Amino acid sequence: MQSSVIEMVYTHRHEVIEQWKEEMINIQEGEFTNGAAQAAVTRTNDEFAALIIDTLEMDKEEARLRLRSFSERLMYSGWPLSYFTKGLQLFRRVLLRFMTTNDTIPSSKVFETFQEVENWMDGIVNQLVDEYTGSWEHTLELQKLALKELSAPLIPVFENISVMPLIGTIDTERAKLVMENLLEGIIEHRSQVVLIDITGVPVVDTMVAHHIIQAAEAVRLVGAECILVGIRPEIAQTIVNLGIDLGKFPTKSTLRKGIESGLERTNRQIVNL
Amino acid sequence: MRIPILKLKRYLLISVQVDLDDQTALQFQEDLLNKIHQEGSAGVVIDLTSVDMIDSFIAKVLGDVVEMSNLMGAKVVLTGIQPGVAITLIDMGIMLEEVPTALDLEQGLDKLQQELEA
Repeated sequence: MQSSVIEMVYTHRHEVIEQWKEEMINIQEGEFTNGAAQAAVTRTNDEFAALIIDTLEMDKEEARLRLRSFSERLMYSGWPLSYFTKGLQLFRRVLLRFMTTNDTIPSSKVFETFQEVENWMDGIVNQLVDEYTGSWEHTLELQKLALKELSAPLIPVFENISVMPLIGTIDTERAKLVMENLLEGIIEHRSQVVLIDITGVPVVDTMVAHHIIQAAEAVRLVGAECILVGIRPEIAQTIVNLGIDLGKFPTKSTLRKGIESGLERTNRQIVNL
Repeated sequence: MRIPILKLKRYLLISVQVDLDDQTALQFQEDLLNKIHQEGSAGVVIDLTSVDMIDSFIAKVLGDVVEMSNLMGAKVVLTGIQPGVAITLIDMGIMLEEVPTALDLEQGLDKLQQELEA
């Protein structure tokens, strides 16, 4: 960065910031600030402006760290990314306008100076966008993990009988998880009968059916039996209309009937006392 | 390398402790059928608990052994197929549909008993 530019920015620091803040107030009306108190908004604006100008003097690493801590703080209090991008665009516009109207730079150097300013601003924008997307990806990862944990539990309900309730759509990745949990669980609980409950599965298409059939076959190979329960009327209709053959393993309409049938298969039954 | 075949009353017990290669599997098929003939056994349990891998050829041999033994009047139950093995078999499209299975040796023997009584 040319020292003349830096000097210019520093000498006119207050004017630039004032102008920028005025413009920010115009665009901020009702945009990012819903809910935030006016004082908080003003304070954040001040801080942001000071930070932008301070980055001029810092070395790269320090600027990066400062920006990161600032953006992280705002991220957690829910400031949108557009606050930063719009703010920086505005800052650039104000700065360039200021430079041209006040004749602080010789016209021969206009392009060079503009480029310097662009580079400076772009660096900040890039980092902020990276910070935000990084935080989104992180959140997404956490949610995926949480979903995975909730995805396919195998619950032993009686001796030798376990239930796996499935809720939500089943894709290939989840089907794999279902199969693994199912087989590991059978070995662990020594289950002879497992009930796969699809009450909570909204749509059963050919792919879902295929995964379920595969799981049932694998269950048979490890030496247990699989009963498909929770078949709602509309699911029964789709299955038949799609021509899916579920004839090879037993199906029941409700979990309750499934459990009764499972008990029967292990030579037990529920009796009234 | 031969797989030992143990006789227990009317049954034959086989616990496969090594990963089967083609030669061993074929040798085993022959040995088992001879043993069934010799002892006149009514049932066979083949335990695969310590087998971590079954390829398509071994799967075919196992299916064949079951069918051949049935022809000779001995019911066969496969036990202890590991989850990983089951997934591989299903992925390869090998369902072993006619083969009875059980979780472990104990349940396998129960199953044989049931089938023989039926």
